[in-house]
Amino acid sequence: MSLLWLRVAVLLYAFASLAVLPAALYDRPRWRHIAIPATTAAIFFHFVSLVEMLNAAHHRLPVDTHEAQSFLSLVLAIAFLFIYGRYRAISLGIFLLPICFLLGLLPAFRPGEEATAFPHHLHAGWIFLHVALLLAAYAALFLSLLASLLYLVQERRLKKKSRGLTWLPALETTDQIALKTLLFGLPCMTAGLLIGTVIAQQTIGPTYFLDPKVLLSFAMWLAYVAMIFIRRHSGLRGRRAVYLSSFVFLVVLAVWAANQLSVVHRFAAP
Amino acid sequence: MMKTSTAPGSTVVILLGINHNTAPIEVRERLAISPARLADATRALAHQPGIREALILSTCNRVELLTVQDASQSENPGTLNFLNEYLSIPVTDLKPHLYEFREREAVRHLFRVASSLDSMVVGEPQILGQVKEAYTTGREVGAVASTLEGLLQRAFTVAKRVRTETQIGSSSVSIASVAVDLARKIFDSLEGKTVLLVGAGKMSELAARHLIQQGAASILVANRTQSRAEQIAKDFNGQVIPFDHLYEQADRADIVITSTGAPQKIFGRSHGQHFLQRRRNRPMFFIDIAVPRDVDPGMNDVEGCFVYDIDDLQQVAQAHLADRSREAEAAEVIVTGEVDKYLQRLQSLNAVPVIQSLQQYAEAMRQAELRRSQSRLSTLTPEQREAVEALTRSLTAKFLHHPLTGIREAARQGDAQTLAELERLYTGQSNSKSDPPTDE
Repeated sequence: MSLLWLRVAVLLYAFASLAVLPAALYDRPRWRHIAIPATTAAIFFHFVSLVEMLNAAHHRLPVDTHEAQSFLSLVLAIAFLFIYGRYRAISLGIFLLPICFLLGLLPAFRPGEEATAFPHHLHAGWIFLHVALLLAAYAALFLSLLASLLYLVQERRLKKKSRGLTWLPALETTDQIALKTLLFGLPCMTAGLLIGTVIAQQTIGPTYFLDPKVLLSFAMWLAYVAMIFIRRHSGLRGRRAVYLSSFVFLVVLAVWAANQLSVVHRFAAP
Repeated sequence: MMKTSTAPGSTVVILLGINHNTAPIEVRERLAISPARLADATRALAHQPGIREALILSTCNRVELLTVQDASQSENPGTLNFLNEYLSIPVTDLKPHLYEFREREAVRHLFRVASSLDSMVVGEPQILGQVKEAYTTGREVGAVASTLEGLLQRAFTVAKRVRTETQIGSSSVSIASVAVDLARKIFDSLEGKTVLLVGAGKMSELAARHLIQQGAASILVANRTQSRAEQIAKDFNGQVIPFDHLYEQADRADIVITSTGAPQKIFGRSHGQHFLQRRRNRPMFFIDIAVPRDVDPGMNDVEGCFVYDIDDLQQVAQAHLADRSREAEAAEVIVTGEVDKYLQRLQSLNAVPVIQSLQQYAEAMRQAELRRSQSRLSTLTPEQREAVEALTRSLTAKFLHHPLTGIREAARQGDAQTLAELERLYTGQSNSKSDPPTDE
């Protein structure tokens, strides 16, 4: 049943991805009134499918790549709705909604196996929290990068006095989104890494901390903190902010990819 | 073309007016009716002989008298009389500038006016509000009844549709509003933003006024003549910055509007870098209205500084105007479709009494025939009676199907002659006054 709801959610994401185009590009309120409810409905069904999935198999966690993708998709969709509610920046949906659709596509139509690679069922709740918090931090970083890129494009457009791309959000809006998502991501990442550290300490022991993936994760955290410090301290915006966000995002991608190589910390096969 | 019925009691919609295309300001101002006099003028117009309903739209660019009159009058004496008597303007003076639209063309003109397709600046939003005010006044004095009520409500719907489905009003076409739009692209909301006026000029004051209307919180004024700066600051409830301290305090402003008569640049690239550093890279928007320019165009290369001079603003405004013209073509299509729909609906409503009359006639005939055969049907069981009832109903409905379709079609096409002929043919009378058959 959870798959059925997930499929409904994915189809709604696809529909919202199309509806958001006229809503954002041509400022058509009628389409906005379709895109936003469609996204809300998609989030609802996505959430229902997630809850059903976790209820059906007590030990089952979003720890394989497909499940993690699906969860990330849900977080991004919620973030989009939140950003729309706060800043009315519907144009972010042009990018976020298709990503939600694509991230949800494989888990919905080619789901993973039932078994999870993580055997320590006693920690299931904490593991879920660990994964959820880190995925939220990744989503926040991605949103920050996207907002920084949109800032850069809008800045260029205004400087060149170009008449195209009038749908881009205002500079201050994208700047706020970029900074606030980062600030939201920091506690998520910190808490996620701390929980992971405590669990690893109890189940694997100190050798866990010698794993390259784990070391890279802490490097990622440091880069994240440094980025926030620089942005807040110097009011970094525009081109240099994009470079910085891109660098940290690359580190995050490296950490994500390291899941496939790590001995002690890896995704279950889908 | 909608056909005008000449039956007793029928009416015709007539719109008489002048606008910026047909009359110079000298003529328009003679005809203009101030808001304070509008109610009285509307009442006076509605009381003219032959006028059943009336509404007056008076703006700086147009004065239009929309009336519903008895169709028997081929001329428009009531309205002309009103111009003569109430406004004391000889009609001969106005005739070269007046336009008159009747029925379909009047409806079309009203829809175009409400949708801002007939405005001097196509797509400007004020006209819809002005039409609504005229309508409210008309209602208040009892000059608007069913015909104008339906027509005006439709006009508001059409105007809303044009706004929603085209981008006719989405872009700014004046220098001041373009500046506001650009500021919103940088700062989103202007609430809490500070505006610095450097120099005094009409256009810079207008731009500042627009920015304040959009929520800008405070105004700083710097001018070489201190008294002039104080005067402007007083007008805007702002604060004066001594011109000598301009460079120390300019970074307080998010938006700087310059319009001095200085022969050389007031702000250079290095000033921009300095301001941005002190603002921790928070953007600044420079609107340079001065000629020669006050802001070095090189400042636009400084990250976070956005410089627009008068030519840049004018180019944006002109491009937006061209966009509006393109959107106006799409809006005209919407208006034409809506005029057709409105008139068809009116015609359908005209057919309703004929249809009702025919249905009543047929039902009365069916009942009469059943009563006549009552004695022969008395031996039937209740089920058989019901079957006979159903059979006669079905026969009547089937018989009426083609005539009713014909009536509706004739009404849709506005074919009053066919409509009357069909009514006469099937009921033996016309004008919906057919008597039901009596028992023989």
